[in-house]
Amino acid sequence: MLMCRDLARIASDYIDGELGPMDTVSVKLHLLMCGHCRTFIGSLRTSLELMRGHSSHQLDEDFARRIDEQISQALIARDDEQD
Amino acid sequence: MEAANYQTDEEQLIEGLKAANEADFQMAVRLYTPGMMAVARFYLDHGAAEDMVQDCWLAVVNAIHSFEGRSGLKTWLHRIVANRAKNYLRKHQREVSTDFSESLDPDLARRFAPNGRWATPPSLRSNESAEALMENGALSDCLDKHLSHLPEAQRSALMLYEAHQHKSDDVCNILDVSASNLRVLLHRARQKIFLMVETFQETGEC
Repeated sequence: MLMCRDLARIASDYIDGELGPMDTVSVKLHLLMCGHCRTFIGSLRTSLELMRGHSSHQLDEDFARRIDEQISQALIARDDEQD
Repeated sequence: MEAANYQTDEEQLIEGLKAANEADFQMAVRLYTPGMMAVARFYLDHGAAEDMVQDCWLAVVNAIHSFEGRSGLKTWLHRIVANRAKNYLRKHQREVSTDFSESLDPDLARRFAPNGRWATPPSLRSNESAEALMENGALSDCLDKHLSHLPEAQRSALMLYEAHQHKSDDVCNILDVSASNLRVLLHRARQKIFLMVETFQETGEC
């Protein structure tokens, strides 16, 4: 029988649909009976959505400008070579 | 953004890059550098990763003409970084070592009784949406802090899979890990974020 700790180990696989059919049924049955694990799965999902909405805009603008500058010089050098 | 629009935008961006349009390069740098850094940081320390990503952009200036669109631009760029980082490690005879042995985070594992049931159950309010949570600027800062403290391998896997929406196969190729090891990395990282959000909601502290 699946215990709460077992479910916590495979919770991501369940959320991503990576579990086999038997394990998926076991998790679903456990979730029917266990409010704590329902909270855990729900909260883990919320945490994932938080990640998806959050991290795409993390870039140090100084670093980006240094790259811009290098690209600009490389484009000039490439044009010079082609002339 | 709708998928079709995104594709059209990407096609236009690629045309701009091939035409050596600096503004398009600047846009691409801002769109794709965070993901490229996530790949590089899997293999290298921060300074070496920044150098590697800069070098990759210079390589892209000359290689963009050979981009045929068999994969998306993002995947192509991430593979360039991964291949260069792997070559760098090979030359310096170094390896990435990561522990894949246990999928349960120790801080979460402590919360179960010997019989396998919750001893300290989760206290998050799961009915609070991610959108509502994101409106809290302090939580966003806290998320930044905890993401920066994740082990590199976990953070790279999480960034590529969640934030940059790569498929599992792509992440495995880029990071050179097996599918089962990727599952461990993702799950360990997600548990850390879950624990962080839970603590923040309970105490208001990061």
